[in-house]
This record gives sequence, structure tokens and C-alpha cells, in this order.
Amino acid sequence: MTAPPAGAGGLGERQAALVAALTAGRPVPEGFDGFRFEAARVALLRKRAGEVARQWPMLAAGFGDRWKREFAAWAAARPAQGSLRDGWDLARDLTRRGGLPSVAAAELAEREAAWHYDGASAPRSRRGPALRVTSGAAALQVAGRVWLLRRP
Amino acid sequence: MADPYGVGVGWRPEIAGFVAELPGLRFVEVVAESVHAHGELPPGLQELLDRGVTVIPHGVRLSLGGADPVDPARVEHFAAVAARLEAPLVSEHIAFVRAGGIEAGHLLPLPRTREAVDAVVANVRRVQASLPVPIALEPIAALFDWPDDELTEAQFLTEILDRSGARLLLDVANVYANARNRGTDPAELLDHLPLERVAYVHVAGGAEHQGLYHDTHTDAVPEPVLDLVTALCERQRPPALMLERDGDYPPAAALAAELDAIAKASGYPSVT
Repeated sequence: MTAPPAGAGGLGERQAALVAALTAGRPVPEGFDGFRFEAARVALLRKRAGEVARQWPMLAAGFGDRWKREFAAWAAARPAQGSLRDGWDLARDLTRRGGLPSVAAAELAEREAAWHYDGASAPRSRRGPALRVTSGAAALQVAGRVWLLRRP
Repeated sequence: MADPYGVGVGWRPEIAGFVAELPGLRFVEVVAESVHAHGELPPGLQELLDRGVTVIPHGVRLSLGGADPVDPARVEHFAAVAARLEAPLVSEHIAFVRAGGIEAGHLLPLPRTREAVDAVVANVRRVQASLPVPIALEPIAALFDWPDDELTEAQFLTEILDRSGARLLLDVANVYANARNRGTDPAELLDHLPLERVAYVHVAGGAEHQGLYHDTHTDAVPEPVLDLVTALCERQRPPALMLERDGDYPPAAALAAELDAIAKASGYPSVT
């Protein structure tokens, strides 16, 4: 391995600083073009927003044209956990704040009934039956089948 | 892909119906991470395989450019998908997507340094050890560069390919985007790349925001990118070229027109 430039740290350390700056709101590493780095950061958030919208279509639809902006603002200091978890975390956050769009309530309730998600690791299919009520929607899951009992 | 495959397309669930109806299609690419190694294939993909269409797995999450060794579980999945699809080759990027335990959610550029070359080559060799087929490496579009590049882009890429023995997946839209954003000549990069090692080519659309060209894959393929396809084919025509579209899908007629434009620019027969 060739030695890294003096004082610059190894590749792994520098890559970690770069990812932290892009995903967790840490300062732009020294020597990078700030304008271009910011453009990349914003592009990344918009790309994540598009991916989450595919996984959570009703959540995104609930925000209409404001979706990418809303998601980007929420996700700016939250590293990507994959579009399923990113959307789930946002939907739960909105629910806590009473801001979940009502068209997205059924989507969330169905997933809460079908899967166990601890907020920290990949969601798992529930073994037993579950009834979940969220933002006025109610979903029941029995043996892997999900019924939507009520819409808000 | 020794025999010419001509024009193909990036298979995505949203355009599966459109792709299924393309009469002259001989190859598609599929995102490797979206395919189960052992479970059922996404609807539509099996039908393409049954028709004799070649399906190339394209990895996006291996992080070959990461300073850390590639995750063996990801490599195992990649290799299993290649075997499952009976693919003649696979592809991944010269990039990193995570560091320090955090996912970037996107392909990030490497510094063009010898240390980075060493890291990529070491990871490519680890992957090659498990793969049943050759791998092609794709240089990415980067909105920013590292401040301490030691090598030109052509030197950086050629060194990686020479030392790993990998083939090149050349994305002409990335070549165009990087040249435009750096104020360099895209055709000049073509003159300095080992074009005889090109396994296949990506073509995609993009758009300009605030003076920077973004390789979005959600906009139409601009004319200068098609001109670059022609410039590439004049130097050495690759055996296969494909359209990459990842969202904001246009009506079928517009997608077909993009495939036809790639066919025209490269001189391959239309697949629509």
C-alpha cells in the first residue's frame, strides 16, 4: 500500500468522514469544493426520496409535489437505512407528531400488522396474528394475510 | 459477451411489460440486489430467460472501492445470482457506498490515488475468487472530485483494469457528465481508455441544475450523449449497449424512441 498524503489519514478514515458529511450533517472535509459537495448531498437526498416513494407510494402521495422537499428535510441528518426502513421511520415520526397524511395511514397500519419492526434492524414477518391501529386506520393480520378493517 | 448483443435495456419492474414486448431484444441488465439468489425471480424476468434473453446482474451495493474488504455475504449473493441467471458476466462500480458503518445511499467517487487503486483491486480479486464468470467494472459519474488526485481518470481506470483483469462497463453518460462538469473533452477520455476491454455500454439521461449536469437516469438521453455513442463506435464498437432508466418512466413510445436512437447512433439493428 502506498502511504497516504501526510496528515490526511488513511482511505477508510477519509471515506468515513466523507459519508458522515454527506449523510449526517457533518462539516465538508477539507479541500473539497463546497458547492459541488452540497450539490451531491442534495442529489443524494432527492434520490433517496424517489426510492422511498416507490416503497411507500401512499406516504409520498400524501405530500404531493412537496414530497422530495419534505423527505429531504427529514432525512438530511439521518443516514440511509434502506428505503423500507427510511419510509417506515418517517411514517412513525409523522404519526407521533400527528402529521401523517390520512391517505398514508392504511399503508402504515398494514405494514405494522404484517411485520415486526423494532426501529433498529430489518423488519421481520410476524409469527402470530396482530391488530394495528394507526392514525385512524386499522389493519388485522392473521397467518400472513392482512385485512384493512378501517380507513381514516 | 463475445458475440454482439446489440441494444438492450436495464430491466426494472416498472417497465417489465414494455421490455417483454421488445421483439429484437437479446440482453437486459438487472440490479443484482433486487434478485433473490434462490427464491422466485421478479415477474417477467423468467419469461425473458425462457426466451433466450441474456440477463446480466449489475451490483450496486458491494462497495468495491471501500477501504474495508467486501462483505462476504454480499459477494456470495452476487455470485449466486450470476449462477441463477446463467449470466455470461456480471458488473459493479468503481465506487464506494458505505464507510464507518454508515450507508451513503449512493455511489461515491474514489480519490484517484494509488491507495484507492490498491483498495479496489484487492476487493475485485476477492469477488473474482467467488464468481463463476468475469466481472466488468463501471466508472461512475461524480459531482465532486477529491482534492488529492494523483492519477488522471484514464490512468486510474486502466491501472485498476490491468491489475484486476476485469473488463470495462463504460457508461457514456457518465463520461459526458464528468467531462461537462470538469470542463474537459469527453472524446479525449475515450482516446485514453482501453476500449478493447469494453464488455458493454450504459447510455442514460440527465439534466442540468445550477450549472452542474446530473446523471439522473430519470430524464431523456440528451443529443450529446448519443453523439458520444457514435464517437465511441467509430473508435471501437462495443458488443452491447443499453438504456438505463430508473424512474419517471415515459410512455412506451418515448422509451422505444430512445432505444431506436441508441441503435441508430451505434449502427446496431433496432430492437423495437
